[in-house]
Amino acid sequence: MRKKRFLTLTDLLVGSFLLLVCLFFVYRVKVGLNYNWAWDSIPQFIFRFDKENNEWVSGILMTGFYTTIRLSFWGIILATVFGVISGIAKTSSILFLRWLATTYVETMRNLPPLVIIFIAYFFVGDQLLAPLGIDDWAETFSPASQNILAIVFAKPGYLTSFFAALMTLAIFEGAYITEIVRAGIESIDKGQWEASHALGLTWYQQMRHIILPQTFQRIMPPMAGQFISLIKDSSIVSVISIQELCFQGIELMTSTLHTIEIWTVVTLMYLALTLPCSLLVERLETRLNLSLR
Amino acid sequence: MTEKKFGDYIINVDNICKTFPNGVKALCNFSTNIRRAEVVVVIGPSGSGKSTFLRCLNGLEEIDSGSIIFDGIPLDDDKNNRLKIRREMGMVFQSFNLFPHMTVLENVTLAQQLVRKSSASVAKSVSMELLEKVGIEDKVASYPAQLSGGQQQRVAIARALALKPKVMLFDEATSALDPEMIGEVLDVMKTLANEGMTMICVTHELGFAREVSDWVIFMDEGRIIEGGTAEHFFSDPKEERTKGFLNQIL
Repeated sequence: MRKKRFLTLTDLLVGSFLLLVCLFFVYRVKVGLNYNWAWDSIPQFIFRFDKENNEWVSGILMTGFYTTIRLSFWGIILATVFGVISGIAKTSSILFLRWLATTYVETMRNLPPLVIIFIAYFFVGDQLLAPLGIDDWAETFSPASQNILAIVFAKPGYLTSFFAALMTLAIFEGAYITEIVRAGIESIDKGQWEASHALGLTWYQQMRHIILPQTFQRIMPPMAGQFISLIKDSSIVSVISIQELCFQGIELMTSTLHTIEIWTVVTLMYLALTLPCSLLVERLETRLNLSLR
Repeated sequence: MTEKKFGDYIINVDNICKTFPNGVKALCNFSTNIRRAEVVVVIGPSGSGKSTFLRCLNGLEEIDSGSIIFDGIPLDDDKNNRLKIRREMGMVFQSFNLFPHMTVLENVTLAQQLVRKSSASVAKSVSMELLEKVGIEDKVASYPAQLSGGQQQRVAIARALALKPKVMLFDEATSALDPEMIGEVLDVMKTLANEGMTMICVTHELGFAREVSDWVIFMDEGRIIEGGTAEHFFSDPKEERTKGFLNQIL
C-alpha cells in the first residue's frame, strides 16, 4: 500500500485539535502558572567563562552530558559483547550453556532495573571492584594519562563507581540483546547450517563466516532500538550518584528551583543523543528492506 | 557409449536404520555399496526415505544403527572422522542454500580457504575454473539473490566441487526449479557423470536416470524395493510396486 503524501480532512481536524491543546497549554503557563522564569541563568550550566584561567569550561549540565555519552558508549559495546556471547550460548546444543544464559536473561528481565542497580552497585562496587583499588592505582598515573582516563572513563576517585554503574547497565541491557541475538540466529534458514555442514566447516567456522554475519545484518534495526533504550536507561544510574545528565539535572533543580528550564535543556540533550540513533535505525531498515527484496 | 570402468567400493552402507523423533521410520535395514565412478540414481515416492539416505551418508542425519564406511573411514561419533568424510563429499540441495551474504565467487572460494587452507589466489583460480565449467563465469561478482534458480543451483554445484570431493550427493537438485531451467542443471550433472565422478542422485528426472545412471535404486517405506542397471530397471522391473510407481509417472 502506498502511503499518502497529502493532508486529508481528518489530518486537518486532528492537527487543529493538537494546536488548540498547545495553545491552551501556553495560556495556562502564561496565566495560571506562578513561575519565576530565569532562562538567562541557564547558559552558565552548559558552558561558562572561567575568568581566573581565562577560558571556556563546561558547565554542570554539560559535564553530566559527557558522562552520559561515556556511559552509553561503553555500555553499548559491553552490552553487545554480553548479549552476543549469551545469545550464542542460548542457541548452543549444550544444555548447561542454555541454562546459564536463560537464567541470566530471566533474572534480568523479571527484576525492576532499580533493584538490579542497587544490588549490583553495592555488591559489584563495594565487594568486587573496591578491593581492586582501581582509584588508588589511577592516582599514581602521570597527570597526562589521568587526563586521558578522565576523558575516556572518569576522573580518579570516581572510577570504581563509574565501572560499577557501567557493568550494571551493560549486564542489564545485555539480557535484552541476548534475546535479539538468539532470535536472529534462530531466524537463519536451516539450509545455511546444512550447506556449511556439508562443506565440512567446523562449528566455529560456521558461526564466524555463515551464521553470525547474516544474523547481524538482520538484527541491526532491533539492536539500534536497544541502544536507544540503553542511552535512556543510563539515567537510572543517577540513583547511585553517578554524575550523569539526570543526576546533574536533579542537583541543579534542587539548588536553583529553575525546574522547567533545566529539564527542557536536559530533554534536548537526550534528544541530541537518541534522535540520530532513531534516524539511523530508519535508514538501516530501508536499506535492509531493499537488500532483501 | 564405451563401457565404464568402476573401481573398488567407496561407500559401504550396512544395515542402517533411522527413525525420526516423531516416530516415522525413514530407513529400515538399508544396505548398499557404491563403487568409484558409479552414478547411482535413487527414485521412489515422496516420503520413501531417499533424501534421508543421502543425508545420513554425510552425517546431516544421525543413524540409529548399522554402519556407513566411506573410503575406509567409518562414519561414527568421532568428530574428526565426520569432518573428514564431509570434506570428501560434495552435496547439492533442493533449495540451493547458497550463502546470501557472499558473492558467487566468495561462495565457491570460502570452503577452499577454510577447509583446504588454500591461498586466496589459488582458491580464486580454482573457483573461476569451476564457475566457467558450470557457465556462470560472467556472474562471479553477483549475489545469489540476483541469479535465477538454475544459475543458483549451478553455483551450488561449483561450490560443492570446489573441495574436489570424491563423491557428489544430489538431493533433488532440480525439483525446485522452473521447467525451463532444469535442463541447464542436468547438463552440468551429465558432464560430471561423464568425467567419472561418483554420484548419488535423488531425483524425479527419469530421463536423466535412464541416460546417465549406472545403477538405479527404487525405494519405498525406507527399504530398497529393487535395484538394477537403468536398462533392466526401466524395461523390465521385477517388483509390483516398482511397476506401479513407474506406470504412475511415465
